[in-house]
Amino acid sequence: MSLLRIFFSSAVFSFKAQFSWLYPPMWLAMKLVMPLSQMSFFVFVGQFLITTGNASVDIVAYIAIGNAMTVLSWNTIFSVINITSHDKWDGTLPLVLATPAHRLPLFVGRAMIHVFDGMLSVAISFVYAVFLFGVNFGNTDILALIVVVFLTAFTMAGFGLLIGGFSFYFRNPLVFANIFTFVLLIFCGANFPVHDLPQPIQFISYIFPLTYGIDAGRKAIAGATLIDIAPLLGQMLIVGFISIVLGYVFFRSFEHVARKTGRLEAV
Amino acid sequence: MPQTLRVIYSAFRMAMLHWMADPQWVIPNVIAPFVFTFVALTLFKEATGPFGLYAVLGGGMMGMWGNTLYSSGFAISFEKWQGTLEEVVATPSNLLHVIAGKSVSNALFGLVNMMAILLIASLVFRVSLDVANPVLFALSLVLTLLSVSALGLIFASAFVLTRSAQVFTNGLEFPIYVISGSMFPIGLLPFWVHPASYILGPTWGIEAIRIAAGQENVSLTFWINVSVMLLITLAYVAIAAFLFKKVETKSRRDGTLGQA
Repeated sequence: MSLLRIFFSSAVFSFKAQFSWLYPPMWLAMKLVMPLSQMSFFVFVGQFLITTGNASVDIVAYIAIGNAMTVLSWNTIFSVINITSHDKWDGTLPLVLATPAHRLPLFVGRAMIHVFDGMLSVAISFVYAVFLFGVNFGNTDILALIVVVFLTAFTMAGFGLLIGGFSFYFRNPLVFANIFTFVLLIFCGANFPVHDLPQPIQFISYIFPLTYGIDAGRKAIAGATLIDIAPLLGQMLIVGFISIVLGYVFFRSFEHVARKTGRLEAV
Repeated sequence: MPQTLRVIYSAFRMAMLHWMADPQWVIPNVIAPFVFTFVALTLFKEATGPFGLYAVLGGGMMGMWGNTLYSSGFAISFEKWQGTLEEVVATPSNLLHVIAGKSVSNALFGLVNMMAILLIASLVFRVSLDVANPVLFALSLVLTLLSVSALGLIFASAFVLTRSAQVFTNGLEFPIYVISGSMFPIGLLPFWVHPASYILGPTWGIEAIRIAAGQENVSLTFWINVSVMLLITLAYVAIAAFLFKKVETKSRRDGTLGQA
């Protein structure tokens, strides 16, 4: 019971904490503007190719769905890594490490509200995809899509915890937040298939849970059932859990070094 | 040295010193334009037409804009975090001149940012960077940079009044990429977006840059684009000066500068 309480309070506090620097109306505006502008940019690039006869019209749906899934990264990567930044900047890191609370629910819980926040962002993006860019959701297996979006958000939050745990060792974790939020657009098949990347770097795509999530999302929208996409979801869960475990190891190891050397925020 | 220039130079020097003290801040400024250019070049890989030019020059323009916007936002936020904003505003120097000095340093980084994107595109994607009219290309580039910086000044004035400058910065980055048609013709945008495109200096700037890159003897359209951009830039500067005065007066009167 105590572990659950720590998990939930950690989740709620980490979400509330972001409103120390972000007004709720601004949060809402960001939620509506960011997905639209990111998706629009790449869809118009795709339409440029269509109007010049260099691509078929299918590219619009491909790009719109890929970017709708990718907006998760703003919540599950940027915001989750940013928790580490704010622990350092706002002086709350000593308090977090001084508490006798069990570290695992404390560490994992802080990312969890961002999972649901990310799902909301994806839902908003799907609305844009349908009503602004005419993407057909008529064949969608709704249950499969909901499960895909939830598991992608959960595993990506795990990846955010991994980078967040790693970036405890650096002065500006926000730099990592920026890098990892954007490079996903290159590696995860949001705008073009992974096999269009140069061969030597294609393997990088498969360390990101989002790569499996985008693929599974496109299949669910095309009508694939949960059973059809189960292998993809399984791979994604494995990558996600490995990320959480590694992130936790980084966090504990940082705590150990910080206590041993007495250089908490300087580590 | 005239006092205005001395203030601008001091602010410029401080901004450079801050950057040298923590150079990793350049990463957030360059990462999005670089990624967007990479994605566009991969999408355009098999296409025939002027796509490479659109992607690379558009990416460079985005680099300038991203840098300017981040720097404008952080110019104010940084002073707030350090607790120095009150002192900066309380000095007898005009706040606009202080921010202008910071903007000049940002513009310099913006230019370096664009060059880095051009270089990477050229080396990694083998995009030809042959410029048909180098003189007019350089002219349109510098004028676009000034226009982008002037637009940044307007945002910087608004950022004094909010503690969400960082959020604005993130939120405004992509819409400008879309509305200015940085990587595609603005004709593809819905007609109701066009007025927003036309009041942005970078929209005219990127078009002028593309023309200078592609035509040795530029058409009249080039000069029209440059002239309109100049007019818009002047308007930006006038608006920024007005806003800075208003914002400064309001923040002094309310006494809530650091808390905003």
